[in-house]
Amino acid sequence: MNLSKELSTRQESARHAAAKDYTEYFSFSRKSSTVVILIAILVVIGYFIWWLNIPFIEDIFTAGTITLIMALGFQLFMGNSGVLNWSYVGYVGIGAFASAIFSMTPSFKAMQIPTMYPFLVNLHLPFPVALVAGAMVAMIVAALVAWPLMRLSDAVGAITQFALLIVINVLLSQWSQITNGPRTFTLGGTRLTSLWVALGVAVLVIIIVYYFKESSLGLKLRATRDDRYAARSSGINFVAVRYYAYVVSAFIGGLAGGLYSHYILSITAASFYMGELFMILSMLVIGGSMSVSGAFFGTLFVTLMRQFLRQAENFLTRSGFEASGSTEIVVAVLMIIFLVWQADGITGGEELTWEKIKRRLPNGKKSREKVSKNVKQEEKA
Amino acid sequence: MNNNPVLQISDLYVAYGSILALHGVCMEVHKGELVSICGVNGAGKSTVLKAIAGVLKPRSGSIRFKGKEVAGYKPEQLHKMGMALVPEGREIFPSLTVEENLRIGAYGRRLDKSFAADLEDLFNLFPILKERYHQAGGLLSGGEQQMLAIARGLISKPDLLMLDEPSLGLSPALVDQIFELIIELKSRNITILLVEQNAQRALAIADRAYLFANGRVEYSGQPQELMGNVDITSVYLGHNGGDV
Repeated sequence: MNLSKELSTRQESARHAAAKDYTEYFSFSRKSSTVVILIAILVVIGYFIWWLNIPFIEDIFTAGTITLIMALGFQLFMGNSGVLNWSYVGYVGIGAFASAIFSMTPSFKAMQIPTMYPFLVNLHLPFPVALVAGAMVAMIVAALVAWPLMRLSDAVGAITQFALLIVINVLLSQWSQITNGPRTFTLGGTRLTSLWVALGVAVLVIIIVYYFKESSLGLKLRATRDDRYAARSSGINFVAVRYYAYVVSAFIGGLAGGLYSHYILSITAASFYMGELFMILSMLVIGGSMSVSGAFFGTLFVTLMRQFLRQAENFLTRSGFEASGSTEIVVAVLMIIFLVWQADGITGGEELTWEKIKRRLPNGKKSREKVSKNVKQEEKA
Repeated sequence: MNNNPVLQISDLYVAYGSILALHGVCMEVHKGELVSICGVNGAGKSTVLKAIAGVLKPRSGSIRFKGKEVAGYKPEQLHKMGMALVPEGREIFPSLTVEENLRIGAYGRRLDKSFAADLEDLFNLFPILKERYHQAGGLLSGGEQQMLAIARGLISKPDLLMLDEPSLGLSPALVDQIFELIIELKSRNITILLVEQNAQRALAIADRAYLFANGRVEYSGQPQELMGNVDITSVYLGHNGGDV
């Protein structure tokens, strides 16, 4: 028994020794360069804007980075599972309210929201802890309600998620002991989400979302997106893998919500409803929902475009032409155009890797031409 | 031959809604055997594979896999126990790369040195997949997709490999390749249960065969006998000898 065991381990090591070189299976430029590239782009832009020191542009960047975190969390579930997750923005709202309640001072809470439960009034946590705790609340809510919903797919899945969003929204807007009801919820104090806080969390979230996708769990989830019956006969429990992804996605959503409420400083339940959802959905559709790069560049593209359109809209309105709301129309039309002609978005649903950039560089092209020339010569000979 | 079959089915009934598709099927597969299931369309060939793999729940009867009663188990459980089904119609995951498809076959195994070594072994059988390693499965040709589907079944080193119509929809040259591959797998002592419409070819390579008709096992035994029996070939295989 022992002998055969030893023999098999020996064979195994011999096999490893004989195996020449597995580096092609672990190529960094294919596998992990995406994270480095995306983070580099974000940090370079962030640093440049911080250096410019123009408050208006800094605000756009910080808000955009928070939206990026939101879009990445949305991509984590929807992009990998293919199930349209309407309820996501509800978890953003839960995270926003929960972390705000945790971080506000008791005296301010008592003044602002007289109806609030006493045990919540006395709760007071430092901002980073409040942020994570708020995200945990969103995650726990997701963990409690999600299991029975995860076996639903396609239209049925989307409709139940939509119904869940309505439930969350009504709770947020009517539970006056927690959220101040339909009235505006003001945080008071200073803006705690600075440019660097948002940037730091975004870097972390890019890493989480990318490696989730590449992980064993993410891989199984993507397999269920392609074909859940074939995935089942490959040993994948699609309800379980969807559930874990949904819960992680709610956590990231809650994190984005906490950053948002500590950035904007006054929120209502209406801030976490169709408008927000439509915005991140358009980012994912235009960027390409199947990849992290898609969420990244979609957010970049739509944020810049919205700013530009907003300026144009203001200019037109000032010069006497009623154009308010045209930004949303343009974004919506663009989304339709993408869905019809380029359903995988600007990234084609693929990740941006160093490998692909290299191929586009002039040097890469030359070497490729050389190779094809060589091939032709060989064919002639 | 080993006394304990890898797979033993007795009195299996399977229904689609109210329509019975299998009427009391009995069969067994021993270790290292290549067993063929033949029959015309609608005879219940694919149904029996789906029932074994847990995709369909049997109405009654017993399925024993490696000595354990597994009727009613879920597909994911059976896969972990060492059963691999290569479904009809090349069900690969089109948006995953070849590498990722293979990792799925190994139950989401991590890409590490020992997995790379297994891949290297596998690519001796399927050189084309090594060339396509980083490509999305959906971009492969039909034959390559079938290779990938079989490779995905093999990577988990199953105790029972079930192939459902592997030659369906492939050009004759590719069909030859697939059958050569099955012979190669057989020589490696892999237990295979093969469902094929192309009865002549399937029987030519099988150790034993079952002939299905109308959801029943009409005949079982040596493939030579089956092919030699004029009645059977004319009635159930639709032909008297030649290649289909």
